[in-house]
Amino acid sequence: MTPEYYLLLSALLFSIGAVGVLVRRNAIVVFMCIELMLNSVNLSLVTFARIEGTLDGQVMAFFVMVVAAAEVVVGLAIIMSIFRTRRSASIDDTNLLKY
Amino acid sequence: MFGAQVTALSPPSVDYTAMLPVLIVLGAAAVGVLLEAFVPRHLRWSVQVTVSLVALAGAGIALGAYVPGAPAQGVTTMVDTLAIDAPALFLWGTLLALSFVALLFIAERTVEPGGAFVSQAALRGAAGAGGSVSTREPETTGGRDGAAPADGARGMQTEIFPLTLFALGGMMTFVAANDLLTMFIALEVLSLPLYLMCGLARRRRLLSQESAVKYFLLGAFASAFFLYGLALLYGYAGSVRLGDIATAAAGSDRSDTLLFAGFGLLVVGLLFKGSVGPFHAWTPDVYQGAPTSVTGFMAACTKVAAFGAMLRVLYVGFEGVSWEWRGILWAVAIVSMAVGAVLGLTQRDVKRMIAYSSIAHAGFLVIGVMTLSDSGLAATMFYLLAYGFTTLAAFAVVSLVRDADGEATDLSSWAGLAKRSPLIAGVFTFLLLALAGIPLTSGFVGKFVVFSAALGEGLAPLVVLALVFSAVAAFYYLRVVVVMYFSEPAAGGASVTVPGAFTTVTIAAGTIVTLLLGIYPGFALEWAGAGGFAF
Amino acid sequence: MIASSWLLVALPALGALVLLAGGKRTDGWGHLLGCATVIASFAYALALFTTLLGRQAADRSAEAHLFSWIPVGELQVDIALLIDPLSVTFALLITGVGAVIHVYSLGYMGDDPERRKFFAYMNLFVAAMLVLVLGNGFVSLYLGWEGVGLASYLLIGFWQYKPSAATAAKKAFVMNRVGDIGLAVAIFLMWKHIGGTSYAEVFAGIGDVPTDVALVIALLLLLGACGKSGQVPLQAWLPDAMEGPTPVSALIHAATMVTAGVYLIARANPIYNVTPTGQLVVTIIGAVTLLVGAIIGCAYDDIKKVLAYSTVSQIGYMMLAVGLGPFGYALAIMHLLTHGFFKAGLFLGAGSVMHGMNDEVDMRKFGGLYRKMPITFVTFGLGYLALIGFPFLSGYYSKDAIIDAAFGQGGWQGWVFGGAALLGAGITAFYMTRLMVLTFFGKQRWAELTDSEGREFHPHESGPVMTVPMMLLAVGSVGAGYFFVQGERLVHWLTPSLGELEHGAEPVLGHGTVVAATMTAVALGVVLAVLLVARPETPVERPARVSAVVQAARADLYGNALNEALFARPGIWLSRALVYVDNRGVDGVVNGLAAGLGGGSGRLRRLQTGFVRSYALSMLAGAGVLLGLLLMVRFV
Repeated sequence: MTPEYYLLLSALLFSIGAVGVLVRRNAIVVFMCIELMLNSVNLSLVTFARIEGTLDGQVMAFFVMVVAAAEVVVGLAIIMSIFRTRRSASIDDTNLLKY
Repeated sequence: MFGAQVTALSPPSVDYTAMLPVLIVLGAAAVGVLLEAFVPRHLRWSVQVTVSLVALAGAGIALGAYVPGAPAQGVTTMVDTLAIDAPALFLWGTLLALSFVALLFIAERTVEPGGAFVSQAALRGAAGAGGSVSTREPETTGGRDGAAPADGARGMQTEIFPLTLFALGGMMTFVAANDLLTMFIALEVLSLPLYLMCGLARRRRLLSQESAVKYFLLGAFASAFFLYGLALLYGYAGSVRLGDIATAAAGSDRSDTLLFAGFGLLVVGLLFKGSVGPFHAWTPDVYQGAPTSVTGFMAACTKVAAFGAMLRVLYVGFEGVSWEWRGILWAVAIVSMAVGAVLGLTQRDVKRMIAYSSIAHAGFLVIGVMTLSDSGLAATMFYLLAYGFTTLAAFAVVSLVRDADGEATDLSSWAGLAKRSPLIAGVFTFLLLALAGIPLTSGFVGKFVVFSAALGEGLAPLVVLALVFSAVAAFYYLRVVVVMYFSEPAAGGASVTVPGAFTTVTIAAGTIVTLLLGIYPGFALEWAGAGGFAF
Repeated sequence: MIASSWLLVALPALGALVLLAGGKRTDGWGHLLGCATVIASFAYALALFTTLLGRQAADRSAEAHLFSWIPVGELQVDIALLIDPLSVTFALLITGVGAVIHVYSLGYMGDDPERRKFFAYMNLFVAAMLVLVLGNGFVSLYLGWEGVGLASYLLIGFWQYKPSAATAAKKAFVMNRVGDIGLAVAIFLMWKHIGGTSYAEVFAGIGDVPTDVALVIALLLLLGACGKSGQVPLQAWLPDAMEGPTPVSALIHAATMVTAGVYLIARANPIYNVTPTGQLVVTIIGAVTLLVGAIIGCAYDDIKKVLAYSTVSQIGYMMLAVGLGPFGYALAIMHLLTHGFFKAGLFLGAGSVMHGMNDEVDMRKFGGLYRKMPITFVTFGLGYLALIGFPFLSGYYSKDAIIDAAFGQGGWQGWVFGGAALLGAGITAFYMTRLMVLTFFGKQRWAELTDSEGREFHPHESGPVMTVPMMLLAVGSVGAGYFFVQGERLVHWLTPSLGELEHGAEPVLGHGTVVAATMTAVALGVVLAVLLVARPETPVERPARVSAVVQAARADLYGNALNEALFARPGIWLSRALVYVDNRGVDGVVNGLAAGLGGGSGRLRRLQTGFVRSYALSMLAGAGVLLGLLLMVRFV
């Protein structure tokens, strides 16, 4: 088992997440793509911890999960509140502020 | 950091005196959340304001008591995750002073009756469902159409105070973070409250919510980059402590791809927070849409935090490989200055214009950051202090110019303002001159010290470009002055609301500091140059 | 005491700030505040003076460090006050005469709707003038120099609704700029060659710079002094400056600001001590100016303009004196002080006359006023006697000493400069007697005339708030000179600032001869004036057919024409040519650039589409480029 494959997988997931942010319109889905990016980083961290032979990376992954959870709370609150005013979750509709 | 033998776990030593300012701020934030739950609604505003201001003053006193006896080399504490050294102490002082003034501005509730913040707009009922989506939505609280008063219809949403304190605590940790994980946590602690605060405006809720959602999505996107950078650097150095990364960069058998890809992604996250072009796209929209007092807080304090962290990362972690990244920061600085100066030219909205101005200023700050010299460090931190107060006061003035629909930020309604309110127009002119960098203002001194530090490090072409873009940007500052002084007042234009005591203090403090640092910058420069980073 | 000497400047500055920022709210009491700050400042200066008196002569120079203004790299500009006999003397003059004139203005400007602004500007002037004389280096001097220039501009144009006042203000401003550039370039040169701009550094290092550089610095400083002090060739703005209110003329354009040039050269004496050529040029400028001013003064009928040219001429005397070297510095300062008293008194007297005569300034319409305005007459008369050098009054001691010193130069210089000074004294006596006769004696010509608005003249004495200041200044006009020369008091007092007094070469004429010659010249001037002016009937209209000399004098000895021909015309041609180039070339580029930037901005802002997803794309692209470049730099 080569750890490098996990790193490549992690990079792939990160890219998928990033592209998802660019192409999806639904705010919730965009947000999930960002979560995917965070989780791909977790995969990297754990892999590096494995390569290093220390636990640091794994502990960091827990920190990231907690942060991600907090981000979900805030994010969903914001998306919910704008959904309630606009009756739409499409982020392309929110473009009053421009130029 | 964490050994494989779990049995050896011993409690880390904590230097409580050094950390006291941060502990006070975060503790007060936690208390604020409890107060929100237990204090009756009619008392909340006064209790929250008192608690927050007392906490900030207390943190300031704790800092002031600590600084004179602080070790010159600084200390690292909490298992080396926090470095409390001379730059951190200076930035803490700056952040506390700016937040104190900004908090007063946030607490204002006479300019906008009942305060500028509410949590929910959805209780508009039918009007909301079928209502048109306009930028100038009528007041959205229940009070007007006789429905049951929504939360905050009478008073303001007082959760803003603990949120501000949390954000401040995050910023203070951010600038003192000695390893990247702490820095990441601090980044989130400072960002998450800011996302929420952007969406709380009482008027023009659609704009406010839009700014919140944009800031949130892009901010989360940027933190993902930061985090990936962190992971790659961990893979490179086997540790996320800045000192270890610097050691590893000096000689490691790992692939340099990890180092530079990690560094690049990390810097993207930091540049985003500092609203540096080309990662500035959120700035104009968020600055315009957010409640003006939040914009002021954000513009002043977030910039300090982001550049403080950037200084630490580059000075402590990556000084050894500066040859590789300096050229890239050249490009970043130029793009940022160009975007800020050129795009600001055609803005019609005052808040948006100041947002572009902040992008241009971010470019100047990047020049200061990349000098990597002691004088550059002092100059950059002085610039942050000076710019923070000026921009905060400028937003406070913007909040006063109002018409029937609330703040009138369109430039056309500012026409002839000097005739109706010479004092406010004069103050705003002074602040704009400071942003443009005219002598006898702190803006001039700030630019002067940053540019001379940059010249000392051989960045002359960049300084020349910076001066050119300063001149371009001066055009749009002066255009506001011309509109205020030499245009005929438009019929039904905006008028200046008499500020309450809190906003008056904000404007006065910002203006006085701007003037003081312009004519007597010596003491601040001295403190900023007190010492370098601890490793 | 010395450490807190910044209060001296801060008080009037605070007054100006309160009056300007306070707006209409301060209308009711602002003028009183304006007076109070200056009087307090005067009291402070007196206290400072006694402090210094209590010290040994060698310890009478102290610096009060305020703060480092710009401490970056090698450039270190500190703001500090230099308290020494010279600066304290000036501080006393400025605040003392300033306080008297502020009080006088309470009466003179009492009915002006813009009274508050007037006092604000006056306070601003006093503060700036104090910065000028108290600063410890050329940069703070320059700061005050520009400050008094601003105050002077604002006050000359105080009645800016009068086109003449607005023009005069502009003229003063522009001509002063010419001098200011000289001063600024001189400071740059000091920085370049000596590496410092404070007096101590410059004077310590001036000996080491090449002589030609020292000469250039000296001449550039002189250019600055000429601009501010109305010396040839930059004299033309000063008479026009009389468009301002009379207290302004008295304070700024007679007693204090216009003597700043003399102060500058006296203060910079170590620079002149090393360049004899520079000193000679100063002397020549002084001699020419004193004659030009005196001759033109004979031709004017406007009472304030005559006094203005008299000021030009008297400052010429001071310049002449400072050019004479170590011997002359103290004499110049003494004449400056006595002149401050009697010329301010004369202007206040003229203001009092105008106040009683519906603001008429044409002396041909006056006459016989001594009956109507006895106090003004007496105080004005004492000032007059002092100015012409009547024995034992102030001017006698100060001016005659300068004439004496000029003859004391020895050789051709003694004859030329002494002769010029002597001739000037005679002409001074002539035009001042003419002024006295036309104003106070003779037929009451105003009785049959009306003013420009058809009102009759009802001359009357002014109130005590105006006459008391005049009396105070009259006391100074009478006694100051005697007081200063008693036991060479002033000279000893100023020695720490100006260096030891050295007597020059063998005088070409003995002291007694000079005094006798001066007295004779003055007497001749007076008699001639009485014969020519008092005897015949004075025509109310100005005679048109006069000799060529008078015509030349009426045309300011063609000073304006000369400026016009030498500077203004070529300047206009040059600027036209430049405008052409500018319109076609530079503007094309600049406008093109501006249009390009504006157009670019207009197009680029479309990139800010408002869609989150496109922002995310820009970030991703930015991150991609940044990473690509980083890796490229590293691996390629």
